[in-house]
Amino acid sequence: MNGYVEAGYVVILGTLATYAVSLVARERAVRRRVGAESGKDGAHVAGGLGATPPAVDDPGTST
Amino acid sequence: MLRDAVLVAGKDLRIEMRSRVGLNQVGPFAIAVLLLFGLALGPDRRELAPASAGLFWVAVLLSTILAVQRSYAIESADAARDGLRLSGLDPAGIFLGKAGAVAAQLLVLEAALTVGVALLYGTHLSGAVVLVAACAVGTVGLSAVGTLYGVVASGLRTRETLLPLLFLPVVAPVLLAATKAWDAAIAGTPGRADSWLDVLVVFAVLYLAIGTVAFGPLLEDE
Amino acid sequence: MSTSKPSMPSSRAVVATQALGVAAITTVAATVWLGLVVTPPDEFMGNLVRLLYVHPPMAWVAFLAYGVSALASLLYLWPRTRAEHFDRLAGASAEVGVVFTGLTLVSGSIWGRPTWGAWWVWDPLLTTTALLFVLYLGYLAVRRVPGEFQARARRSAIVALVAFVDVPIVYLSVEWWRSLHQAPTVLNPTTHKTYVHGSMAWTLLLGFVAFTLVYIWLVAHRYRLAELQDLEDTAGLEMALAERRSEGMA
Repeated sequence: MNGYVEAGYVVILGTLATYAVSLVARERAVRRRVGAESGKDGAHVAGGLGATPPAVDDPGTST
Repeated sequence: MLRDAVLVAGKDLRIEMRSRVGLNQVGPFAIAVLLLFGLALGPDRRELAPASAGLFWVAVLLSTILAVQRSYAIESADAARDGLRLSGLDPAGIFLGKAGAVAAQLLVLEAALTVGVALLYGTHLSGAVVLVAACAVGTVGLSAVGTLYGVVASGLRTRETLLPLLFLPVVAPVLLAATKAWDAAIAGTPGRADSWLDVLVVFAVLYLAIGTVAFGPLLEDE
Repeated sequence: MSTSKPSMPSSRAVVATQALGVAAITTVAATVWLGLVVTPPDEFMGNLVRLLYVHPPMAWVAFLAYGVSALASLLYLWPRTRAEHFDRLAGASAEVGVVFTGLTLVSGSIWGRPTWGAWWVWDPLLTTTALLFVLYLGYLAVRRVPGEFQARARRSAIVALVAFVDVPIVYLSVEWWRSLHQAPTVLNPTTHKTYVHGSMAWTLLLGFVAFTLVYIWLVAHRYRLAELQDLEDTAGLEMALAERRSEGMA
């Protein structure tokens, strides 16, 4: 009987923890990439990331 | 709005009568489904007959997907969709017209399937009023949801797999209610179908309303 | 439409989410400890009742997430409140929601096996949750199709609302469907009717609170991730434009 309870808790906590960790990891990766880009194009583009978003429609890959 | 609906429905049905895709492809598909169910559940009619209502409606649901996909496929030829959008027709009317055409084709299909079910599964059809009512109202709901999701999927590359994925879960209540209504009719207790018919009516009205409102903006996006 | 320009998070927002994270972990840990160690076994279900402290909270969050997603979709569609952040919120809440919905089904199944002897029963709530799961997946599939932002946001929002409106109809139909077959008087774990008193009641309440905090934390981070990805796309596009411009001038 007890095996079921433990299994339930482990699955729930494990899944949520894995998801949380993956979110943070993905966040860090994107943040690093964004930081690199802003450093690179700071010389060319006036205003850099603070500039108004382009009028061109961007196909968002975010969910 | 209604005039535009009749116009669009007429156009769709005329295309169908000329190309006969519904007759040549969707119909045989539905019959194939019935046959496959028969094969899956065994030759013993005593097992098939009780399940016939459910099998009938599953076949209808699957056929709806095909009918909706066909409904939008005819628009993609020769930039017909842009023509539709620019024609100045009321989008709500276009929605009702397309849904109406799909519904009409489905009703014909259902008549054929009813004969098929009686033949293949040995179902004793009784309570004809309930059977017909469930078909009529259920089909309206199915066509409404199908046409609405059809326009969502039609402009997209993954439309063939997206439409079934979106459509089937949403119409689960129609499957449930229509099957139960048919079961009640077949069992000789058509009175018990009343609450199920109510569910079908609510569903149909709700999704006709949503479709009428949402179709316009979605059409713009294509 | 007001564009909420994606930007790096303010330090206040960062601290707030970190505090939220700490609160979430603390309450979850407390729930687990109370649930597994402190509370007594039930007279009928024995130790299985301990799943009561985690399974209903999963279901609650699943439906909450869906509600939030639908509300955000509605706000996006409504012209006066249309804003990018509502679309992003809808997507974030849906993704977190799908995780919790899956967990609801798994934990319900785990609870069901020793209780009813089967890994699955056509219980109204469980069946509705299963359909909710597939509805969520459809919604996420629509979001993933590439395209112009506004078109994508609008069709996703409509799909979310169409599905949301369906859920009560599904639930009522399935409930009637079940009642036709006079289901045995089985203890439905998701609407646990046996006496939940004393420490059990408090632990259950704590469970709801704890996992709601977890949900909020996860949505905040998923939202942040979406914002950063939009930022990355914008920055990449600006770089490409700048390069194109400088090529033209060279």
